[in-house]
Amino acid sequence: MRDVAFGQFYPADSFVHKLDPRTKLLAGIVYIVAVFLCTSYYSYLACFLFLVISIIVSRIPIRSVLKTVKAVLFIIIITVVINILFYSDGKVLWSWWKLTITEQGLIFASKMAMRLLFLVLSTSLITLTTTPMNLTDGLESLLTPLKWIKFPVHDVAIIMSIALRFIPSFMEEIDKIMMAQKARGASFDTGGLIKRAKALLPILIPLFVSAFRRADELAMALDARCYNATPNRTKMKKLTFTGRDVVAWVLTAAFLAIIIMLRTGFFGLL
Amino acid sequence: MSETVISVENVSYTYKSSQNETVGVKNLSLSIEKGDFVAFLGHNGSGKSTLAKLLNGFLLPDEGKVFVEGTDTADEAKTYEIRSKVGMVFQNPDNQMVASVIEDDIAFGPENLGVEREEIVRRVDWALETVKMSEYRTRTPFKLSGGQKQRIAIAAILAMMPEVLILDESTAMLDPEGRKEVLDTVKRLNKEKNMTVILITHYMDEALEADKVFVFSEGSLIKGGTPREVFSDFGAVEKAKLLLPVATAAGKALVEAGIKINVPLTDEELAEEICSLK
Repeated sequence: MRDVAFGQFYPADSFVHKLDPRTKLLAGIVYIVAVFLCTSYYSYLACFLFLVISIIVSRIPIRSVLKTVKAVLFIIIITVVINILFYSDGKVLWSWWKLTITEQGLIFASKMAMRLLFLVLSTSLITLTTTPMNLTDGLESLLTPLKWIKFPVHDVAIIMSIALRFIPSFMEEIDKIMMAQKARGASFDTGGLIKRAKALLPILIPLFVSAFRRADELAMALDARCYNATPNRTKMKKLTFTGRDVVAWVLTAAFLAIIIMLRTGFFGLL
Repeated sequence: MSETVISVENVSYTYKSSQNETVGVKNLSLSIEKGDFVAFLGHNGSGKSTLAKLLNGFLLPDEGKVFVEGTDTADEAKTYEIRSKVGMVFQNPDNQMVASVIEDDIAFGPENLGVEREEIVRRVDWALETVKMSEYRTRTPFKLSGGQKQRIAIAAILAMMPEVLILDESTAMLDPEGRKEVLDTVKRLNKEKNMTVILITHYMDEALEADKVFVFSEGSLIKGGTPREVFSDFGAVEKAKLLLPVATAAGKALVEAGIKINVPLTDEELAEEICSLK
């Protein structure tokens, strides 16, 4: 737990890593839209291939990518089971009480499972290949148009970057508090679920107290560094699109076109 | 021909809450010259940190005035100008960092001030070099030692090009090695870049190398002068409940025992004084 991959970033020198974060975020959105446009198995195959190729190009070991699925595996299984058992249209294969398994239900559930898998894998591919700082910068840049409606884009970006920055500090803090409690005879890994949950309470309270103390000091440190001194804040790092990004746009656009064509049966040509 | 950077004139400040009032500082006056290395000494609650917060406009005096290069800190339009001139480093380095990459953290100050991009890059380079942390530029601060983190915090303030650097108990949480790292960095800044430094501490040995020491107790300035003048005034030291450096304490014991020596500040001086005794 202590070595929680920070924002899950997996450092490597690859095409995907070097893409502008905005490109990755936008491609991610396009991909998610595409996944929801899928109807036939061919389109799912296209989504699968696009994802697999991206993962291979990103040079991230398959194992690290699959690790991110583990966390949501439970949700995927539950969704599949519920979909299978309660989908009642189509040819009945098996039935008991109010539960029926139909051919249609199986197909629907398998498609649902693929969608969820693709969603999780594609988003984690973004966080695996982008540093948290870059991700925040990319989001800030993409949200810039919202400044027109007085949305505090910059403040939101700062909040995100500070939140990310404090995750390891809080991890450390939890470690310290747990050790202090253990030294006084507390036990966190025995007993049933409820007992364990109760044992966490004495960790959470000191954690919150220290979080507020930290917040106080941080606020002062922000003031000391003239936060909000001028509305014309500058940035040291500027995001720039390169030829790589253009390639990624073209590929993503082509992918979306294929999905749309598959959905419409090549605009009625097939 | 020195030039006054900060002048404090008859300043009082009281912390008020619904239940009670606590005196922060009362009727305090002092001035700090450009290029000075000044130490504020005192026990907890002596008013030294309150004074520091008055110097960069975090707190505004109830009575009296504080001027930074002639600008009144109470002038709200100039608040940020004053804060960028009087940079402050706090006690806990972990709570002063805003970004998870060192160079981004250092760029935060100048970015807030709206400095041009090329200039920010130059300043980040310079600040990191000044605290000798250049090779850590693109790393995260989490794995650093306390002393290194505090040097990054100093660099983050330096990048705003302040006139005065205040270290508000910035060594209190560090191990001896970390303290030395930070103190060496600050001393170098003072000597080489002529940076005005205000070191707030309750360690007397840290104050030894200051040009000027101010001793506070219960919100008042009870003694000011060179370290030698201040540490020889045993009455003031006792009143401020400070612990003398070992050599000075030994010297004090000798003086009190009727042996005529000059009060030593360091072990070497003590040794010399003892050797010169007939």
